[in-house]
Amino acid sequence: MRDFISKIAFLLVVAIVWELIRLTGRYPELLFPGIGSIARTFWMERADLLDKTLFSLRIIGIGLLMAISLAMLATIISMSGKVFAEIVSNLMAIMHPLPGIAILPVAILWFGIGVRAILFVIVFSALWPLINHFYTGFRSIPVNQLEVGKNLGLVGWELALKVMLPASFPYILSGLRTGWARAWQASVAAELVFGAAGGQGGLGWHLYKKRFMMETPGVFAGMLIIVLIGIAVEYLIFAGIENRTVRKWKTIIN
Amino acid sequence: MFCIKKQKVVAVLVVALVIALILSGCGQKNVKEPQAMASTNEELMTIRVAKQFGLVYAPLMVAEKIDFFSKYGLKVEWVTLGSGGAVREAMASDELDAAFMGIPPYLIGWDKGLPAKIAAGYCVIPVSLVTYDDNINKLEDIKPEHKIAVPSPGSIQHILLSMALEKQLGNPNALDDNLVALPHPDGAQAMLAKKDIVAHFTTPPYLFEELEQPGYKVILDGFDAFGQDFNFNVALVTENYHDNNPKGYAAFVQGLNEAMNWVNENKEKTAELLAPEFNIEKEKLLKYLTAEGVNFTTAPYGLMGFADFMKKAGYISKVPESLSDIAWENILAQVGKREGGPCILENIQWSK
Repeated sequence: MRDFISKIAFLLVVAIVWELIRLTGRYPELLFPGIGSIARTFWMERADLLDKTLFSLRIIGIGLLMAISLAMLATIISMSGKVFAEIVSNLMAIMHPLPGIAILPVAILWFGIGVRAILFVIVFSALWPLINHFYTGFRSIPVNQLEVGKNLGLVGWELALKVMLPASFPYILSGLRTGWARAWQASVAAELVFGAAGGQGGLGWHLYKKRFMMETPGVFAGMLIIVLIGIAVEYLIFAGIENRTVRKWKTIIN
Repeated sequence: MFCIKKQKVVAVLVVALVIALILSGCGQKNVKEPQAMASTNEELMTIRVAKQFGLVYAPLMVAEKIDFFSKYGLKVEWVTLGSGGAVREAMASDELDAAFMGIPPYLIGWDKGLPAKIAAGYCVIPVSLVTYDDNINKLEDIKPEHKIAVPSPGSIQHILLSMALEKQLGNPNALDDNLVALPHPDGAQAMLAKKDIVAHFTTPPYLFEELEQPGYKVILDGFDAFGQDFNFNVALVTENYHDNNPKGYAAFVQGLNEAMNWVNENKEKTAELLAPEFNIEKEKLLKYLTAEGVNFTTAPYGLMGFADFMKKAGYISKVPESLSDIAWENILAQVGKREGGPCILENIQWSK
C-alpha cells in the first residue's frame, strides 16, 4: 500500500512538472495539452472510456485465461518427458523473442479483421513468458520438499497442490505479472496499428481515433487510464495475491 | 532507509524528465535554423515536404524525378511518413513545411490549431464506395454485419460517407459501427479476396482495380455525396514557412504548378516514368491517368464545403468564417471576391 501511495505521489509530481512546462508557453496546446484539459476530456468522455476499458479488459481477460491454460498444459507436458521438454524449450527459444505485434499481419490473414485477430496476438504475446516462468518454477522445486511431502503420504493431486504449487508460486506469480503486462501491451498495440472492426474496440482503438481526430487531450486521457489500470492491477490484484500466498507461506523473503 | 531511497529515486526521475524535455526543446530549435540561414544567404532554399503513395500523387512523384523547383532556387526534401495522421503531427511539431491531405483531415487539424493554410488545390479525382455484394445497391441495403473499409476516421472518405448518410438516411452516424479503418492497399486486398469487408471507400488506382473485377460496382459516388467537384487533397504550407520564407513559398507553389501541368501535357511519359513505381504495366497506368473524372489541377474546388457539415456532425468545433481563415493569399486571389454576390469560382468552394 505504501508503494501504491508513492506511485500516486510520483504521478502528482510529474503532473506538476508537466503543468510548469506548459505554463512556459514554449509548446503549442496541440502538442502539449494542459492537465486541466486532459482532466476535462477524461471526465467528459468517461462513459466512452469506461466502455472501451471494459472491452479491453474483457478481451485481455479471455486472452490471458487462454494463454494460462495453454501454458499450464505445455508445462505439464514438458514435465512428463525429456523429449517434450526439449520440444517446448526449442519452440520457446524461437517464439519468445518474437514481439506479439510482429505476428499481427499473420493473425489478420488467418483470423480476418476483428476481435479474433487481436485475441490471437494477445495469447501469443502472453503465452511464452508464461511457459517460461511456469516451467522454471516447477523445475526449481527443492527435491527435499518433494521428499518430505511424499514421506507425509501425499501423492498425485495432493502433492501437486500442497507442495509443488506453493513451492513454485513465486515463479508462477511473476509469470502472471509478465503475461498480464504483455497481454495489455499487445491489445493496445494491435488496435493502434490496424484500428478495430466496427464499433467494437478497446483503448488502443480509442487512442487511434483520438489521434486521427487530432484530439491530443483525448490521447492523453486514454494513456492516463491505461497507466491507472496498470497501477491498480499491480497494487490491488497482484500485491493482494502475493500477500495472501507467497508472503503468508514465507516462500519469499519480505 | 527504504523511504529515503524512494524519495531519491523520485527526485532523480523528475530531474531526468525535466532535462529530457529541455533537450527536446533545444533540438527543435536547431531544426529551424538552417532554413532561416538558407533564405538570407541566397543559397538554395529548402522546403520539407511529405510525400505519399497513390495515383493522385503522380505529379509529386514526377516532381521528385524531374526537378521543377531548383530553377526557382528551391530544393525539396521529400519526407516519407506512414499515415495522414503522422503527416499532420509532423506539421504541428514543425518537422514538415508542406504536406498534402484531404480537406476534412486538414479542417480537423485547423480546428485544433494546426498552424498551416492551403497553398494550392491538389487534383480532383473520383472517390467512390465499391461493393461486390449483389444484394447491396444503395446505402440503405447495408446491414449491421456488413463491414465497410475507410482509410481512417476523419478521412475524406469517412466524411463523404457521413454526408451521404445524412442526405439519404437522415443520420450521418448510421453506419459508424460498420466502419473498419484500413489503409487503401489492405482494403483493396480484402475486397479482392472478398474477405472481412463487403464495401470499400477508395480512390484510384485501387478504385479502378476493384471496378475491373466482374460484379464489383459503385454504390456511392463522392461527387454525388458532396454535390459537386472538390479537391481530393490540398497542398498545405505552415505559417512558419509561409511567413519566414516568402520566396521559398512562391517557388514551391510555382514548381507545383509546373509539375501538375507537365503531367497533363505528358501523360504517356508520366506513365512510362512511374510504371515501375506503381509496379503495373505502362498501358494500365496510362489508362488510369486518363480515366474519366481524373483532373490534375491546382485550382481550388470545394474548400469550404465540408466545414458546415463537419461542425454539425460534431467532427470540428468551429467553421472557417471566410476562405482567408484556411487559405493563403494566392488562393484568395484566384477565387476573388465579386461585389454584389458570389462569382462562379466562389460558388464552387461550397457543397450542394
